[in-house]
Amino acid sequence: MEPEKCGGGVGARVSTSPPRRRSQTWGSLDQSLSRGLGCWSPGVVSLAVTWPRDASQETPLSSEYDFVLVNIGRLEAVSGLSRVQLLRPGSPLKFTPEEILIHGRDFRLLRVAFEAGGLEPQAFQVTMAIVRARAQSSQAQQYAGISLSKAGQSSGPRKPPIPLLETSEDWETERKKQGAGSWRVSPVNERFDVATSLPRYFWVPKRTLDSEVRRAFGHFHQGRGPRLSWHHPGGSDLLRCGGFYTASDPNKEDIRAVESMLQAGHSDVVLVDTVDELPSLTDVQLAHLKLRALCLPDSSAAEEKWLSALEGTRWLDYVRSCLRKASDISVLVTSRVRSVVLQERGDRDFNGLLSSLVQLLSAPEARTLLGFQSLVQREWVAAGHPFLTRLGVTGASEEAPVFLLFLDCVWQLLQQFPAEFEFSEFFLLALHDSARVPDTLTFLRDTPWERGKQSGQFNSYTQIYTAGYSQLPAGNSVNPQLSVWDWDLRYSSEQILQFHNPGYDPEHCPDSWLPRQQPNFMVSGPPSSVWLFSRGALTPLNQLCPWRDSPSLLAVSSRWLPRPAISSESLADQEWGLPSHWGACPLPPGLLLPGYLGPQIRLWRRCYLRGRPEVQKGLSAPTISGLQDELSHLQELLRKWTPRISPEDHSEKRDPNTIVSQSR
Amino acid sequence: MCETQAFFPGTGICKELEDHALLLWLTQEGAESLNRSFHVLEYCRVSSMASAPTSKYNSHSLENESIKRTSRDGVNRDLSEAVPRLPGETRITDKEVIYICPFNGPIKGRVYITNYRLYLRSLETDSALILDVPLGVISRIEKMGGATSRGENSYGLDITCKDMRNLRFALKQEGHSRRDMFEILTRYAFPLAHSLPIFAFLNEEKFNVDGWTVYNPVEEYRRQGLPNHHWRITFINKCYELCDTYPALLVVPYRASDDDLRRVATFRSRNRIPVLSWIHPENKTVIVRCSQPLVGMSGKRNKDDEKYLDVIRETNRQISKLTIYDARPNVNAVANKATGGGYESDDAYHNAELFFLDIHNIHVMRESLKKVKDIVYPNVEESHWLSSLESTHWLEHIKLVLTGAIQVADKVSSGKSSVLVHCSDGWDRTAQLTSLAMLMLDSFYRSIEGFEILVQKEWISFGHKFASRIGHGDKNHADADRSPIFLQFIDCVWQMSKQFPTAFEFNERFLITILDHLYSCRFGTFLYNCESAREKQKVTERTISLWSLINSNKDKFKNPFYTKEINRVLYPVASMRHLELWVNYYIRWNPRIKQQPNPVEQRYVELLALRDEYIQRLEELQLASSAKLSDPSTSPSGPSQMMPHVHTHF
Repeated sequence: MEPEKCGGGVGARVSTSPPRRRSQTWGSLDQSLSRGLGCWSPGVVSLAVTWPRDASQETPLSSEYDFVLVNIGRLEAVSGLSRVQLLRPGSPLKFTPEEILIHGRDFRLLRVAFEAGGLEPQAFQVTMAIVRARAQSSQAQQYAGISLSKAGQSSGPRKPPIPLLETSEDWETERKKQGAGSWRVSPVNERFDVATSLPRYFWVPKRTLDSEVRRAFGHFHQGRGPRLSWHHPGGSDLLRCGGFYTASDPNKEDIRAVESMLQAGHSDVVLVDTVDELPSLTDVQLAHLKLRALCLPDSSAAEEKWLSALEGTRWLDYVRSCLRKASDISVLVTSRVRSVVLQERGDRDFNGLLSSLVQLLSAPEARTLLGFQSLVQREWVAAGHPFLTRLGVTGASEEAPVFLLFLDCVWQLLQQFPAEFEFSEFFLLALHDSARVPDTLTFLRDTPWERGKQSGQFNSYTQIYTAGYSQLPAGNSVNPQLSVWDWDLRYSSEQILQFHNPGYDPEHCPDSWLPRQQPNFMVSGPPSSVWLFSRGALTPLNQLCPWRDSPSLLAVSSRWLPRPAISSESLADQEWGLPSHWGACPLPPGLLLPGYLGPQIRLWRRCYLRGRPEVQKGLSAPTISGLQDELSHLQELLRKWTPRISPEDHSEKRDPNTIVSQSR
Repeated sequence: MCETQAFFPGTGICKELEDHALLLWLTQEGAESLNRSFHVLEYCRVSSMASAPTSKYNSHSLENESIKRTSRDGVNRDLSEAVPRLPGETRITDKEVIYICPFNGPIKGRVYITNYRLYLRSLETDSALILDVPLGVISRIEKMGGATSRGENSYGLDITCKDMRNLRFALKQEGHSRRDMFEILTRYAFPLAHSLPIFAFLNEEKFNVDGWTVYNPVEEYRRQGLPNHHWRITFINKCYELCDTYPALLVVPYRASDDDLRRVATFRSRNRIPVLSWIHPENKTVIVRCSQPLVGMSGKRNKDDEKYLDVIRETNRQISKLTIYDARPNVNAVANKATGGGYESDDAYHNAELFFLDIHNIHVMRESLKKVKDIVYPNVEESHWLSSLESTHWLEHIKLVLTGAIQVADKVSSGKSSVLVHCSDGWDRTAQLTSLAMLMLDSFYRSIEGFEILVQKEWISFGHKFASRIGHGDKNHADADRSPIFLQFIDCVWQMSKQFPTAFEFNERFLITILDHLYSCRFGTFLYNCESAREKQKVTERTISLWSLINSNKDKFKNPFYTKEINRVLYPVASMRHLELWVNYYIRWNPRIKQQPNPVEQRYVELLALRDEYIQRLEELQLASSAKLSDPSTSPSGPSQMMPHVHTHF
């Protein structure tokens, strides 16, 4: 509780807790503390800067008032009505503040008041301590993270809530679940010597040897060759890979390996130019900064110009283009059996975004709580999305919250299809806020390799990872077993209950819609058609790879150029271009096709406008749980009464229990 | 349930969907039997992907059922029989036309015209499009193209509707084929110009509830605790002699005599004197409404008016000044002096404080809504949607109205000061402000019947000029008196219901139904400009009230999340950041924008039904057991102990 402890090390957190004595002055400020989880905790604010964490707390992290130092976007000291000082490291505080405003990069705003007679005497000290701690935290390149005392105390290994995909077993289980029969788990990257940004295991075509994988991957940017992302039950495969490494000089066998991996046994291959029509990383970052500035409580944007200012951030535009592209790709994947390859130079940003969105649109499984977490773990965490860099924790210039853009896209889907998702807006909010919380390694590393290094998984190359490995020294290091998915460490059970969408109707999407797997679609020969999907249209390609001397199958000319889209005679009879294609193939009914007209892409108010003072009360409709409790109570009573009156009445046509439990 | 697949339109990918949107809500409420196949093939085309659709999806189970029913029962497909008709509705004509649907392209169909509606059924096998449009919503009928004009479907009729859509029909060019249709439509859509009765007077529907009994002013004032020591009910306007646009029954300060009232009337525009709208049950502050004082250029004063306002101030023994909210922008109020109007000056009214609320006049609102229509029908923007929306200023006007109402409510509730509200004539902005403030202050008005009473009282009885603002049966579409003031009020109510999802007993459908019948002319509720005119036409005897329709089928209009709260004042957030365009109303004709029904709401309704069933069964069981309760030891506890517990949650 002593302020000076605050400077004690990187990863220190500022937290405030409800006061014992409430000061009248702050009544109106209560609202700004809401993190929007529907529970309204009035009571601000005596400051307690704690580090390390008070172990007696029920959840080790993330109370309503927790604020991670890295999350601090701007610090202001306020005294009286007019004295405001922006606090920067090295600049001395010019007065004793009555209040400090902590603007979060996650759109939260924390107002910390120094009550007269309370913490007032220490106000100066505390404020400077926060400034110092923050400065230190931003200097640190890598977070050590925070130890979770609760988890540390618990005896025995803790089973991850979802497979973390650090073992080949996890990959194998997931492969089987997807029914990807013609794929296998390749351990070729077990020592991270193919690519440090790739996971240790991934899926490759069954017939491709590891030596071929190694050979092929060398010709892709940063060694990120084509891997399976998702096997559609109808037979299509969604692949992702980095850009072709054009400077390399592959021999014929290399090219054959590359081509067969892209083809993945399909006769129809579509290469998707991922970044085409999507914003650049710089665009995303700029839009996010503008959005954040606009949503600040003291934003200078005039009220009557709010709508155009919001449009001016372009954030919603970028959300729209991601959704549009993802829905196009879902149609490509579901309308016909083929190999669809997402190709992005780095393969670590928009490939993950598109691949995840495509799965959300096409696979009901991905819309469950477990499925979605697995999806993020697989397509973002394991796939090596550089979280640390993109979220700006390292201070590097390549900050771009692609992951937050993704979460916004998911929120839009939630709005448009409220019965299709098992998780709720509150879950997305929690995930949004977790992105900057240094409790676990999930979002704290750029690559699986770094993550593994930290957790000590490979002291020697031969050591086999065991699930029981959790005997880390307690203290200032992260428990590798813990992931962001261990929600119960940071959220109360009431909050976790709110992660469930009460409107979710699992029957809405029965599995029966899935088209039957086509038995023998694997072809041994070259692909009969190769397309490039770009600018919303398919263009036939001569060959898959860009290199000269390609022994390519369709190679008529040796140049790697899309053929003009105007039909040539030879192609006239073939189906090509999206229109006739899609018209001919009915889309499976489990597919969600989002709308992206102006009014359909909306601002995620509960997230972005949290920091504003006028946050509404009563906004959330009553949860169903209250009514469910009453129903359970009634059932209880009924059960007590029923047998003595008419036992035969008990066999109801619909069992009330299932109705109640379903909606839980 | 399993068939109910969620498909969201607007993907640029061909598909078919059911065009719920093209259907009028009317059909659904009237008789369920009207609810037939509403299936429309929707071919969305996006430039880069022209498409030839063949795929087919199911949509809502409800309508699917009705489709199945029709075919399974082998219902007579004779088209003329399939046209829904209300009792009293008579068929006039029918004709083959091409409906130029802005979303689906031209669709061949047969149009049936009755004295109440225009009904179109598609004749194409792959489309089950149905249009069901009450003639009352038609604002303008134009001929497009001439006998010699070329191009496909260039000759026909273009119909502008009051409910945010246009209808275009193409006809054969030979033999002036559209002349008939044009004349018949004109005749029945604009009956006033042809000395024909409005359909409401011909409607012979029967409902088991009489909506005309919903509002009884004496009862409503009694509910408010009136009359009391300071306020009395006066019948001075019994024959509408004091003020012909006010109701017969008025509540005025006890200390003001009828003669005082007559003298005050001379100083208020159209004699609309300050009268009570609402009184706070605890602090006894009041909301009083009136029109502007007739100050004029010379700055006239009227001692009686000044005294009258002071009497109002003193009714709750408040020491502070009486607060006057002039709804207009300051400049407009000043400008009104030129035509004899004006506002209460500080010099004349020492004990009053005046604030302007900056709400613009009916002409500004009309133009703003026109711009909204431009951006929502038929095409909706993508990238520039927000700035287009901003340029209509519609939400800004909504914001100002709400802000004004919040100020009124806050002044009365926490400022403990009585409030006088006026604009120019006191029947547009004033009605918006008083009724919204009352909705914020008094939870009674948030129930279905309470809201009906509120509309009946503040709008209908106090002379909001519905006939002029809507133009019922009138062909003069460019009339400067028309303005969407009531729509704007309903929009504000919708904004509030969005921000307080548990506070209102009614749902969105209730609001949309009210708006639909604002134009439909099926009911007498919104006909005529004021009570005296309505009385003269014997509206309550000769027509049916909209509330009959609603109250005889209340379940449809109930918000399942409603939790009754007494004495909670609602202050909505009137910020552009939190106001939204009411997509389900303004853009409901666009099949690409169709909001999925809230599944939580459906689940909640199911659970509520289950709860009622449980309670009923429990009651039966307890009753049965207490009847044969000779052996008390078998019962876990007495029913009397049980029941209160069961009901506590709600």
